[in-house]
Amino acid sequence: MATTPKFQWEDRFAKVSILFSFIMLALGSLFGLVQALSRMPGALEALGLNQVITPQLYYTGLTLHGVANAILFTAFFIMGLAVFVITRDLGINLHKPLLCLACLLGIGGTLVAAVPILLGQATVLYTFYPPLDANALFYLGLAVVLIATWVFAAVVLHGIYRWRKLNPGKEVPLGVWGVFTTIMIWLFATPPLAYEVLFLLLPMSLAGAPVDVLEARLFFWFFGHPLVYFWLLPAVTLWYVLLPRVLGVEIFSKTMAKVAFILYMVFSTPVGLHHQFVDPGIEPVFKYVQAALTYLVAVPSFLTAFNLLATLERAGRARGGRGLFGWITALPWFKDPVFTGLAISIIVFGTGGFSGVVNASFQVNYVVHNTLWIVGHFHTTVGTGAALSFLTASLLLIPLLFGRQILSIRAVKVAFALWFVGIMIFSVGGYISGLAGEPRRTYAPPYLNGVQLTGVEFLNLMRSADTVAMSGALVFWIGGAILLSTLFFSTLFGKRVAFSGEVKLSPEPGPASRLDDLKLWIILGIVIILLAYTPPAIQVFSQGLSPAPPQPPMG
Amino acid sequence: MAIHREEKIWAAFILGMTVVFLAALAYAAWGLGFTTPYTVQHVPVKNATEFLKPGVDCVNPNVKKVENNVVVCEDGRYYVNIIAMRFTWLPSNIVLTDPKEVKFRITSLDVIHGFEIAGTNVNVMVFPGYIAEITWEVPPNMPAGKYLIVCNEYCGVGHQNMYTVLEIVK
Repeated sequence: MATTPKFQWEDRFAKVSILFSFIMLALGSLFGLVQALSRMPGALEALGLNQVITPQLYYTGLTLHGVANAILFTAFFIMGLAVFVITRDLGINLHKPLLCLACLLGIGGTLVAAVPILLGQATVLYTFYPPLDANALFYLGLAVVLIATWVFAAVVLHGIYRWRKLNPGKEVPLGVWGVFTTIMIWLFATPPLAYEVLFLLLPMSLAGAPVDVLEARLFFWFFGHPLVYFWLLPAVTLWYVLLPRVLGVEIFSKTMAKVAFILYMVFSTPVGLHHQFVDPGIEPVFKYVQAALTYLVAVPSFLTAFNLLATLERAGRARGGRGLFGWITALPWFKDPVFTGLAISIIVFGTGGFSGVVNASFQVNYVVHNTLWIVGHFHTTVGTGAALSFLTASLLLIPLLFGRQILSIRAVKVAFALWFVGIMIFSVGGYISGLAGEPRRTYAPPYLNGVQLTGVEFLNLMRSADTVAMSGALVFWIGGAILLSTLFFSTLFGKRVAFSGEVKLSPEPGPASRLDDLKLWIILGIVIILLAYTPPAIQVFSQGLSPAPPQPPMG
Repeated sequence: MAIHREEKIWAAFILGMTVVFLAALAYAAWGLGFTTPYTVQHVPVKNATEFLKPGVDCVNPNVKKVENNVVVCEDGRYYVNIIAMRFTWLPSNIVLTDPKEVKFRITSLDVIHGFEIAGTNVNVMVFPGYIAEITWEVPPNMPAGKYLIVCNEYCGVGHQNMYTVLEIVK
C-alpha cells in the first residue's frame, strides 16, 4: 500500500525495484558462501564438499555473485531509492509509461541473462573479458538491462528538468543532487560498455569474430570505475540526508556536500586506466594522468568525511557530549539502528578508502593487482559502504514505502555487529594474503589445498592470512543473511503501519547558487573525460589491433 | 554558499597531500625508473611460439654458460620468455642463478592471463596477440629459494591449476 496516493505508480516501481534487488542480493550472496568455503585452506576437504563444490560451480557462482550483487542488486536498489528521493524531495510525478518500460526491460533483461549463467554457459565472471566466450543471450540480456537503465535515467532527468522549470531560482535539494550526479555518472560511463557488448562481444559470440583484448578492456574499464561511484554516490547521499535527519541536527555544510557531489561527478569517469596499470600496450604517462585523476576523486571523499564528522560532533554535543571525545560516546550507538548501520558503513568505507589509495598509486599497484587484497578492498567499499547503507536505509523505506514494520530490531542489531566484525577480519586477512601474493578469483588454490610445495616463500603467510580472511567472511556472511532475511520478510509479513503527512528527506531548499548550474558541470565532466581518454584511445587504435579468436571458458 | 574556515583549511590540506603523493609516484616512475609496463609488440595468436620461444636466455650472450641444462648468466641479466596457455606456464620450470635484472617477455596463446610471482612486485597482464614486457630489478637481499608463480586472472575452469615454481639460486 502506497503511503501517498499521489505517487501510486512511482511507489509501485520503487517497491518492485527494491524487492527485486533483495532477491538479487540473496541469490548472489548465496554463492559468497561457496567462495568463502572454497578459499578457506583445507575446508572443502574437511567438510567433504569437494564433489559438491566443483570448479565449475565455483566459477559459475562467482559470475552470479558479481553480476547479481555488484550490478543488479545495486542498480535495482538505486533505481527504487532514486524514485523515492525524487518524488519526496521534489513532489512531482514521473513519466509513468517510461517508468513501467524501464521496470519491464530491467527485469526482462535480467531473466534473459540469468538463463545462460545458470546453465553454466556464461562462466565468464562479471567482467566478461574476451576472448572468453559466453552464450549470446548473456550479452543480449546485459544490453537490455543497459537500455532499461537509460530509459530510467531519461525519466529521472525529465523529472528534475520539469521541477526546475516550475521552480526557477530555487536550489536543487541535497538528495536530488545525489540522484542527479549518480545518474549522470551512469550516463557518462555506459555508452562505451554498450559499444563493447553490442559491437565486439555479440559478434564474437554469434559469429566467432575475433576481439582485440586491449580495445575491449579499454571500453570495459571506461565503464568499470565510474560503476564504483554509481554504487557509492547513493550511499553518500543517504549519509548526507539521513544522518542529520535521524540525529535531529542540520548538516554541517550543505555547500561542501554539493561541492563533493560535483567533484565526484566530474572526476569519477576518467580514471578507468587505474585498472589497467599493468596492461601492456598503454603508455605509462596516460596511466599516470588517470592515477592523478583517481587521487582527485578521493578529495570529495575526504570532504565528505570532514562534513559528516562535523555533523556527528554537532549531534553529539547537542546530546550533552563534552570535551574532545565526549561527543562520540554521546551518539546513539546501538540505540538507533539507522544511525548505527550508517555509522558502520561509513567507518568500514573509510578503511576501504585507504586501501583504495594504495590501488590507485600507479606502480605500487604491482604489489596488489589481482590479488586477494583487491577483494578485501571492494568488500569494504561496495560490499559494506554501499550495500550496508542501502540495507540500513531499508529500515526506513520499509515502513515509509511498504507500510510495514521491521520484524525484529534486535535481529538487525545482531546482524550489524556480525557484519562489522566479519568484514574487518575479512578485509585485513585479505590485505595480508594479497600482499603474500594470493590471487583473487581462484577456486581452492591447490598449493593451499593438499598439494605439498615445500620451501616455497610466502606460502605459510598466505595460508594463515587466508584462513583468517575466510573466517571473517563467514561471520560477515551470517550477519548479512540475518539482515537481508529480516528486511525481506518484513516487507511481506511486518505489522502494517500507516503514515499521515508528508515525508521530508532533504533540508528545505534555499535560493539557487552558482553551484546549481547543472549544465556547466555536465560539460566540464565531458571535457575532462575527453582529455583523459583521447590519448590512450589514439594510441590503442593507431598502434593497430591484434584480435584473438573466442575461447569457451571450459578450456 | 557559505564555506566554513575549517573546511577551507581541510581542503587545502587534502589537496596538498594529493600533490605530495602524486609527486612521489612521479619521482619513482621517472626519477628512479620504476614505471608501469608499456612495450607493444603484436604477435599473431596462432603462431605466437614462433615469435617468442619459451625459455631462459642471457641479455649478454658472451657471459652465457649452460650447467646441467640450466642457463647461467654471469652478469645476472636474464631474458625469460614465457608462453601462457590454459592452464600452464611454459617453461614450467624456471631456475635463475644470482639474478640481478630479469626481463620477462610473455604472451598468451588463448585468453587473458595474469603473470605474478607471489610476494614480489612482478605482476603483469598477459594478452593473446600482445607481448607484455617487464623488467624485474631483483632486490640484492632477496633470499635464494622457491617462489610461486601464479596466474592471477581468471582464464577458465582450470584457472586454479595454472601455477608453477621459480627457483632462485645464489
